[in-house]
Amino acid sequence: MARIVFTGKDCTGCTICSLACAYAHDHEFNPAYGRIWVVKRQPATDYPVVCMQCAKPPCLNACRVGAITKREDGLVVVDAARCIGCGACVEACPFGAINLHPIKHVAIKCDLCGGREPQCVKFCPTKVLKLQAPTAIPRAKGVR
Amino acid sequence: MGQILRVDLGRKKHHVEPLPHALVRNYLGGLGFAARMLFDEVGPKTDPLEPGNELIFATGPLTGTLWPTSGRFMVASKSPLTGVWGETYCGGFFGPMLKYAGYDALVIQGRSEKPVYLWIDDDSVEIRPAKELWGHGTAETTDMIREVHDDQGIEVLSIGRAGENLVRFACIVNDFMDAFGRTGLGAVMGSKHLKAIAARGTGGVRVSNEEEFIRLAAEGHERVFKEARLGGLKDYGTSPPLIDMKRGVGDLPTRNHQTLSFEEAKKFGCHAVENYFMKNRACFGCPIRCKKIHRVPSGRGELVAKAPEYESTCAFGPNCAVDDYGAILEANMLCDLHGMDTMSAGVVISWLMECYEKGIVTKEDCDGLDLRWGNSGAMVTLVKKIANREGIGNLLAEGVYRAAEKLGRGSMKYCMHAKRMEMDLNDGRGHRSLGLTQAVSPRGSCHMRSLVVIDQGYAFQKIAAQRYGEDKLPEICDPYGEKYKALAVKDCEDVYAIRDSLLVCWYSCGWPPVFWIEDFAAAAAAATGIREFGDVREMYRIAERICNLRRAFNVREGLGPKDDTLPDRILKEPIPDGPSKGQVVNLEVMLRDYYELRKWPNGNLTRKTLTEVGLVDVADELERLGRI
Repeated sequence: MARIVFTGKDCTGCTICSLACAYAHDHEFNPAYGRIWVVKRQPATDYPVVCMQCAKPPCLNACRVGAITKREDGLVVVDAARCIGCGACVEACPFGAINLHPIKHVAIKCDLCGGREPQCVKFCPTKVLKLQAPTAIPRAKGVR
Repeated sequence: MGQILRVDLGRKKHHVEPLPHALVRNYLGGLGFAARMLFDEVGPKTDPLEPGNELIFATGPLTGTLWPTSGRFMVASKSPLTGVWGETYCGGFFGPMLKYAGYDALVIQGRSEKPVYLWIDDDSVEIRPAKELWGHGTAETTDMIREVHDDQGIEVLSIGRAGENLVRFACIVNDFMDAFGRTGLGAVMGSKHLKAIAARGTGGVRVSNEEEFIRLAAEGHERVFKEARLGGLKDYGTSPPLIDMKRGVGDLPTRNHQTLSFEEAKKFGCHAVENYFMKNRACFGCPIRCKKIHRVPSGRGELVAKAPEYESTCAFGPNCAVDDYGAILEANMLCDLHGMDTMSAGVVISWLMECYEKGIVTKEDCDGLDLRWGNSGAMVTLVKKIANREGIGNLLAEGVYRAAEKLGRGSMKYCMHAKRMEMDLNDGRGHRSLGLTQAVSPRGSCHMRSLVVIDQGYAFQKIAAQRYGEDKLPEICDPYGEKYKALAVKDCEDVYAIRDSLLVCWYSCGWPPVFWIEDFAAAAAAATGIREFGDVREMYRIAERICNLRRAFNVREGLGPKDDTLPDRILKEPIPDGPSKGQVVNLEVMLRDYYELRKWPNGNLTRKTLTEVGLVDVADELERLGRI
């Protein structure tokens, strides 16, 4: 399935993706609410981290209350009503792509904006984020 | 509703106040807040380095939102460099974090006995010991604080050696490479024994009219994306395109403003620095990404550091006749680590180099350094000496005006300053409106308060005609004429006062002019829900109030029209060569026009003018003190 893919290397660390994401989900601005976030290290590392929508999601296996499910179309979703905010999924994710909302204390992760245009892709100023199936990446690389 | 956090370091106490609605309504945010609060709270008798001085950090209604370039924030205080109004701005990530923690403004008062740092974790505010941090550079301090609190997401503002040593142009650094550069407020932080401020905020910022705001922000991002003139900034950063342009038109201060053309500057142009490019970085919420990381091979191995922006390149490059890009990068990096203003440092070094050239100082006076023009090794050594106040560095650390005063021997003639602040790397002789901008800037020589770009090397005739009318062309766009320059400077000063109150970056608003006051008015109204802000005339009223208030602060300190001036070199020495050959600045003419537009008869504030902009209480105070 298609997911948010980070291609190229020109992430600038501006966190506009997180801001747009936070607004799309919470109607408030704070990159900490973003379902996508940016690793920044000195002197020259910036890269976005976002859910890979794994085929065998470790977060799903770690969830003891069945709040995380994989839909038929492949999207991994969190049922906020069921989530108890324990953070077991956060520990299990090998990428750091799922986190607890600092105010709502439930697990938050990329839901591809629920079928709308993903806002991180729309706002990314360097256009390094794409909505793409990972299986299409090699072919895209091949023609570069 | 917003909040103000007040921290008294002397009493080790803090408290939170609600942000008064009247402050928001009349002063908008950022600069406006700080101007009002500083005028009310720091009087004329307070020495900048005494506990009575305050540091007022402020954010604006757009800080931390999705508006392009919304990562900026500001701090105001009485400046130890100029002794008067000090304001300075910074990008990076700290400002939004302060707002997410719940505070629109942070006021630091008093002085701690021992070194401390402030830890703001949402509602929890702690003054913590900083014995371990004292003496460390700004990058190390940031890393150490993040380690102590075990969170890489914490934002840190800190001073380095220069601030600790009360270097009068010390700065405050955020996120390793963004600085509150000018007016020396790092020394104020040092005088309060406040090493750093760390913040973590989990609150969200809401806007009032969501739909409208997001529409405007998305459109804003689109406009920034499409603006071709931003291409140079996006690809090369601020320095290389400006160096190329200013080299072409002859406006590149060289050898302490002796001339305005430096042939070797092509080594810092777009074509040359391409080889050093390593990575683009950006401040919070900024699509422009003017921060570049450069990798430069140097004698002592490879240097990876933030590329200097234009002012820094010119201060350490042409102005010291240095043509070695590696040395400029190193000097710039050392300034960031030690927490020191690159512009003031470069200018004070070029002043000493000119004193050396003219035989005013000898090699022995300068700790054995050979200060010939272009000696890049000596320049880098001097940067370290200034930060540590070692040897001759102790003299330079006082800033160029005080250093010239102390040294005497006719060195004041080569002292490039306005209101005691080192000149920014622009010259009114090659860009006429800049002369007026520097002379009337409330914080001392500064190009950012009212920089007009329409009379420099760009083809901005269309924009000039739109803003000021066809009839002002071609004179208003002439880089060598005084006519209509006051009109453009006054207008820019007003618009930039709004920019600095909403708190967005100069890029995209000034150069190139993507956004202007009507865009700011619409964004401010949508963000705050205060409908009056949507009216451009109301924006101008607020701007004029702020500009008059800053002037009033300086008038209360004893400044007057006599201080709106420039060094003799700019006013009397014609440029010897290059495209601007023969030019001088006829400041009087521009000042006369400017005072008339501001309604300051002969440069003096009056009760009538202050009353008109809603500052009756300020007029009362100035009258009580016999200043008007």
